[in-house]
Amino acid sequence: MRGRTVETDFCVVGAGGGGAVLAAELAEAGARVVLLEQGPGHDPDGFTARPPEMLARLYRDAGQTTTIGSPPILLPLGKGVGGTTLVNSGTCFRTPPHVLARWRAEFGLELQDAAIDACFERVERSLSVGEVTPELAGKNAAVARRGAERLGWSHGYLRRNARGCVGSGVCVFGCPTSAKQHTGITYIPRALRAGAELVTNADVRELSIEGSRARGVVARVGSGQRLEIRAQETILACGTIHTPLLLARSRAANGSRQLGRNLSLHPATAAFALMDDDVNMARGVPQSFYVDEFADEGIMFETVAGPPAYAAMALPLQGREHARTMAQYPRLAQLGLMVSDSSRGSVHALGRRPVISYSLDTADLERVRLGLARIKRLLQAAGASEVYLPLPPGLAPEMARPRDLRLMAFHPLGTARADARASHGVVDGDLAVHGLRGLHIADGSVVPSSLGVNPQITIMALATRLAFHLLGRPVAREPAPASTLAPTAS
Amino acid sequence: MTRGLDTFLAAVPWPERVGLRALLVLARRPRGARLLARSPLLALALDATLALGRYDEPTLAARLGWDATAVAERGRALRRAEGRP
Repeated sequence: MRGRTVETDFCVVGAGGGGAVLAAELAEAGARVVLLEQGPGHDPDGFTARPPEMLARLYRDAGQTTTIGSPPILLPLGKGVGGTTLVNSGTCFRTPPHVLARWRAEFGLELQDAAIDACFERVERSLSVGEVTPELAGKNAAVARRGAERLGWSHGYLRRNARGCVGSGVCVFGCPTSAKQHTGITYIPRALRAGAELVTNADVRELSIEGSRARGVVARVGSGQRLEIRAQETILACGTIHTPLLLARSRAANGSRQLGRNLSLHPATAAFALMDDDVNMARGVPQSFYVDEFADEGIMFETVAGPPAYAAMALPLQGREHARTMAQYPRLAQLGLMVSDSSRGSVHALGRRPVISYSLDTADLERVRLGLARIKRLLQAAGASEVYLPLPPGLAPEMARPRDLRLMAFHPLGTARADARASHGVVDGDLAVHGLRGLHIADGSVVPSSLGVNPQITIMALATRLAFHLLGRPVAREPAPASTLAPTAS
Repeated sequence: MTRGLDTFLAAVPWPERVGLRALLVLARRPRGARLLARSPLLALALDATLALGRYDEPTLAARLGWDATAVAERGRALRRAEGRP
């Protein structure tokens, strides 16, 4: 079959949080970069604020990727340029210091505070990260705030990557104002301006490996044409679910037998509350407020919200009761629960599709039970006349079994984990694949433990650190390019 | 079946798509509905899918205070006015 071969300095696979950062930083330093993305580019003119259409267009498998285990967990993943940063809620947390300390102690990862801080700063500048104002957060956040204040629980407004946000309420269905600063409108344009070549709809089939060195990748593009990229360095950023599959297909990087294992997810769920006054949950920033009173126990609350179609899908009621409650949608509030998990799962391929196995362990089940009981307390303290927990009717949270839970997860991590020891991890502290030269990984798969907070800033900071490591320079503290520096309105 | 739900189902991987379409057919028949009622997990999956389509309908959504077209149009106008990508 005819094809084309491209020689380059760096081949980056995946244009999400990790790959976009690398492509921009490397290209701006003058390197030749080819960036391959399996999905399409997205035109925000096509964002309709209608959940079913947007799920179909912006998510892998229409957002229906599901784990196998007890209980099954829905794991929505973004597809296309921007990856999951296109469809996340935009929440920005730095890696908690106790997590970095754990990585040093347990995985031998020497992430010096000053160096990683410089990466955080650089990413946050590039993404216009700022704190949501109470006005923009809307009434759904006000409900959570009222409950937390009455109970004396620690809380705050979230920091987000947004600029010029008007609270459209559909961050996860494609921001129609392009206020959310996902990598598709920040780092990718920077990379392209600096000369990087972006190839969309490029399905990377395998790595090219010669001896103990990676030499690039082979992909199929468009109507099946072969594209070979020959590169000095190859960087995989296909995400936690798909990076291990590509490595496994290429029979690479599994000397430790850890490839595809150690999957953590941050299992999550949400409760609804019926309030006396209108909330209009979709008016404002859906994820804008957090309660971290129980973060030390691995339990975090964050507001979530969306249009009626989204709420109707998530409301844990059926039949007439569902319809009666949805008729009061303007008075519904919602609060999410996220667990920093100790359970671990795995991913492997069946044909070319991922099979994700994950079951909740006893400690995480207890966290979910406790979290649900506390969410109920908070919403009642806020004045809810009814609280709808995601459990079978009448079941108390402390009695919930795994099969009673309706869980989702948004933060898969760890399937090509970093560990300084080649026998324990897939990549080393510099994210170089153990035992194979010329190959690095820069996505959630390298994150070796659950974070307890939303991971996009961690992933992008690690990618920034890798970019400067590959360039042989310290991380630049100078401001990111002016085009991405604008006042944060939210 | 609404247009939005049809678009959504078309993008779902085939095993789930076939399963969901079968459930939709089953739910329309009295015996099928009784069968589904005995399987809470299946009933829940079906209800969630149907609810996603039903409440996406502009007329019903508007009654609940949501106008997707207006939200999208405001977004486009702001993007153009401010020269955003």
